[in-house]
Amino acid sequence: MRISTIAWANLKRRKGKAAFLAIGIAIGIGTAVALMSLSSSIKEEIGSQLDQFGANIVVAPQSNSLDYGGVFSLSLDDQQLKEEDASQILNIPYRNRLSVIAPKLLGRVRVEGREALLAGVDFKSELALNRWWRIVGRAPDTDQELILGYEVARVLSLVEPLAPLAEMQDDTEHANHEAGEHPPFEILRDRINIDGREHRVAGVLFETGRQEDRMIFGSLAYVQGLLGKPASLSLIEVSALCKDCPVEDIVAQINEQLPHARVSAIQQSVRARAETVDRLTRFFAIVSGIVLAVGALMIFTTMMGAVIERTKEIGVLRAIGFRKAHIVKELMLEVAVISTLGGLAGWAAGTAASFAALPYFAETDVRVHIEPSIALAAVLAGLAVGMLSSLYPIIRASKLDPSEAVRYV
Amino acid sequence: MAFLEIDRVGKSYDTDGEGRLVRVLSDVSAEINEGEFVCLMGPSGSGKSTLLTIVGAMNHPSEGRVLIDGIDLYGLTDEKRADFRREYLGFVFQQHHLLPYLNAIENVMLPLATASAASSEKRDKAMRVLEKVGLSDKASRLPGQLSGGEQGRLAIARAIVNEPPLVLADEPTGALDSRTGREVMEVFLNLNAQGQTLFMVTHNPENARLAHRIINLKDGRVVSEVAV
Repeated sequence: MRISTIAWANLKRRKGKAAFLAIGIAIGIGTAVALMSLSSSIKEEIGSQLDQFGANIVVAPQSNSLDYGGVFSLSLDDQQLKEEDASQILNIPYRNRLSVIAPKLLGRVRVEGREALLAGVDFKSELALNRWWRIVGRAPDTDQELILGYEVARVLSLVEPLAPLAEMQDDTEHANHEAGEHPPFEILRDRINIDGREHRVAGVLFETGRQEDRMIFGSLAYVQGLLGKPASLSLIEVSALCKDCPVEDIVAQINEQLPHARVSAIQQSVRARAETVDRLTRFFAIVSGIVLAVGALMIFTTMMGAVIERTKEIGVLRAIGFRKAHIVKELMLEVAVISTLGGLAGWAAGTAASFAALPYFAETDVRVHIEPSIALAAVLAGLAVGMLSSLYPIIRASKLDPSEAVRYV
Repeated sequence: MAFLEIDRVGKSYDTDGEGRLVRVLSDVSAEINEGEFVCLMGPSGSGKSTLLTIVGAMNHPSEGRVLIDGIDLYGLTDEKRADFRREYLGFVFQQHHLLPYLNAIENVMLPLATASAASSEKRDKAMRVLEKVGLSDKASRLPGQLSGGEQGRLAIARAIVNEPPLVLADEPTGALDSRTGREVMEVFLNLNAQGQTLFMVTHNPENARLAHRIINLKDGRVVSEVAV
């Protein structure tokens, strides 16, 4: 017989009440775990979605003069970057945080009597970087094939707008358009002449409202040949997975690798990412806190009731020589067992709930991660909530006057 | 010097919370020697149970002092007084106050729960006491599965398991019929025959006649002390 024997016997005897308390803790902890798991997964999703918004770091030669997308001014005649610069970026310590490295060579060309900006790109990287791009036609298969910005194609009379949605009679066609599959224009011809050479147009970009509307895109190697600048680059766009990484550090590391280049972060984008994630985290933390506080209040009330109900028993224990500390120990042991079980159950329920709820909050295939550290934190939080909210009733119980308590019926 | 010395003890309660005191005990003095069996009698409200809780180191007197084995109970800190109760006193309550979720032997072992001895040692000790009160065959029964007399004997077993020098009993047969009441009193008499000091509150004159001495209390004062 030890004090723990009494605690254990009491738990077995009051299974219903113990279960009720454990459920209270489990609800509080479960909500916190679910919200934290959801928050973590949604943060991950927001981060990767924000990363899809495009480059957040631009590497350019030191001296530039042409405006590129409001970010940089580039001098097309003063190419200072080389292809190996792009591979050197992968030597930085934070290379795992880089999602896309998209090198570019820019040059002015004459297209059917008009001047246009030709960009040599690595199409795989470029399409990964600009995920919002939608193409009427297809991505180029060969070096001679091009993609045209909408404005270039319109000026060259390569495209003709299609009838707007309201004029469509066919229900199926309507549905397709709603799903984003109906192109706003059609390609009338797929050949253009650049600097006297005929090229095939593989596709035309939907209008973006950005600089690419006024650009022509070809494969990097081909454009380098066409412009007579082999292995040269005008700029390198980099997308870093920066939902929680210090972009300034990445910029500094790239600068260290490429001292001859100018590396800049698009701060606005980074700040927006950080702010969105921070707001979400704060919101979930507040909701978790409120639910835990309600759970703690419930435990407090139940424990107060339990102490009143057990006044006689506590009085008997005090009368036969239990110190106040022994009473506290006995009751705390009970609460500890209940809280641990509640914390574990809360973790399991919260994890299951976040699995079930994630599809309603996140659209991508982002997952809920099962981490032992979260289980441990849930149990510790359950213990803390249980112990703290029971502290006052238990101390009050230990101070019961034994002579009054044994008279209590 | 007597083993138990009650020295001009008085007790008042502030029953309405407004400072108006109700006096329950006034100038009570008594002595009990080691091995004695003393009964405390008196009408309801005479202060018998209050005096017993004061002697039981559970209820601070308003005046006077109580010495057991020369120790001034209310000169001790609250925690030391709890230790004193565990080591010096055994309690038998009228309603027995057995813990319903512990079986008979576990109830007996309760006062040993805070001791550092091995569980087997505690169990052996409890079993010996159960044998003493004739309940060794019912060690694993819950209190609810025992008769009133058996519950009374179990309460006595719990009171003596620590081998306390003094056992205090508050109307231990008060809730029992006369046959089971006698059963319980026999256990007390056996214990006393083995040298156990007993101080018992009772309403029952038959039980009181079994004691060495009877102290009569009326309106919170000792009105007589009779040797039987």
